[in-house]
Amino acid sequence: MFEPDTSLDFREGMIKRKLERIRQTILITSGKGGVGKSIVAATLAALMAKAGMSVGLLDADVYGPSSAFIFGVRGLPKEDRHGLIPPVSNGVKVMSLDLFLAGRPLLMSGKGARQIVKELLALTDWGILDCLIVDTPPSTGDVLMTLIKAIGNRSGSIVVTAPTALSTSIVRRVIKILLAAQVPIFGVLENMSYTASSKARPLTHSRGKSLASEFGIKFLGELPIDYKAAEAADASDIPSLLQTDFAKALLTSMKNSNLFTTKTKN
Amino acid sequence: MHELALAEGIILNVLDFARKSGRHIVGFRVAIGEFAQFDKRLVKELLIELVKGTELDKANIIVEVERAVIKCLYCGSKWGFNRLIKKLSDDQKEMIHFLPELLNSFSKCPTCGKSDFEIEKGRSVKLVGVELDV
Repeated sequence: MFEPDTSLDFREGMIKRKLERIRQTILITSGKGGVGKSIVAATLAALMAKAGMSVGLLDADVYGPSSAFIFGVRGLPKEDRHGLIPPVSNGVKVMSLDLFLAGRPLLMSGKGARQIVKELLALTDWGILDCLIVDTPPSTGDVLMTLIKAIGNRSGSIVVTAPTALSTSIVRRVIKILLAAQVPIFGVLENMSYTASSKARPLTHSRGKSLASEFGIKFLGELPIDYKAAEAADASDIPSLLQTDFAKALLTSMKNSNLFTTKTKN
Repeated sequence: MHELALAEGIILNVLDFARKSGRHIVGFRVAIGEFAQFDKRLVKELLIELVKGTELDKANIIVEVERAVIKCLYCGSKWGFNRLIKKLSDDQKEMIHFLPELLNSFSKCPTCGKSDFEIEKGRSVKLVGVELDV
């Protein structure tokens, strides 16, 4: 009896099969916490759904899952013989660890985080999608490594930064990791560039633009600090979120990419 | 229950291994971790059904249960599934059936009371061995 090594993880076959039904997968990355990855991921998913695309949102931020909260979905996902059925809110299929945890804290090792992310990727039955958006956690640790290994060759990334030197210094490392792993980068988004109310710029220049240019990557645009977006997310009110300056700026930025297209129909 | 999805994953894995190695596979062994709470006979029936019409059609399929071992990373003590399962609600059993690591969110080490433990064995379904034609 031959003993297989860890490369014989059967979940990789399941993940491959699931991704074959998904036209494009977008990893929302940063490496830096607090730059707004989760609100970008959620708003992008909702904008795509509103535009008629079939969209899934995988909350891979297992340390601080927020997608279920933003979309107002709760309760254990239903199960059938093919896997877990993600609940749908505002046209977006959402899968998040918080559907299981319901706000409870979870002490988790890096090894545990890897297993959970792999299991969610392998078990979630998304069906046919135009786009799967994956919200990634801060850091360049186990989860990002798992995502790159499991789906990196079938996806691309939007990198989110803030207009500070601190954010740029961390995001630069993530860009290098993604490029080294040959994960295509669709572009850099700078969040918190100006205030939605007064258009004032708390920081004088856009470091996101120069960061993108440093690597020859497309700069997708600037997003505002928008308290109305925060309030809408707090209230799980997706229709109001889509009316905010934040969502409008994100939509404009994404028109600079080729990611807003519909080809697949369920 | 998502046994079918897991069984399909196992078969894809074995077929992929056969293709890459260029060898003929005469049998394979699958372990079902106790955390998965699957019926061993049902998993075997699914595997037998799924290999029909493939190069694994006549393969000897062995399905066994892997006992769960949980190890406290704080005090080092170890415990098993039987000791654990009695204290869990139906919802909790359902959760760990999908994601065994969620055990840390509602259970504690029976010796020291800490929630800093990991699953050493028996977490899910896995392919543990492939028998090749000599």
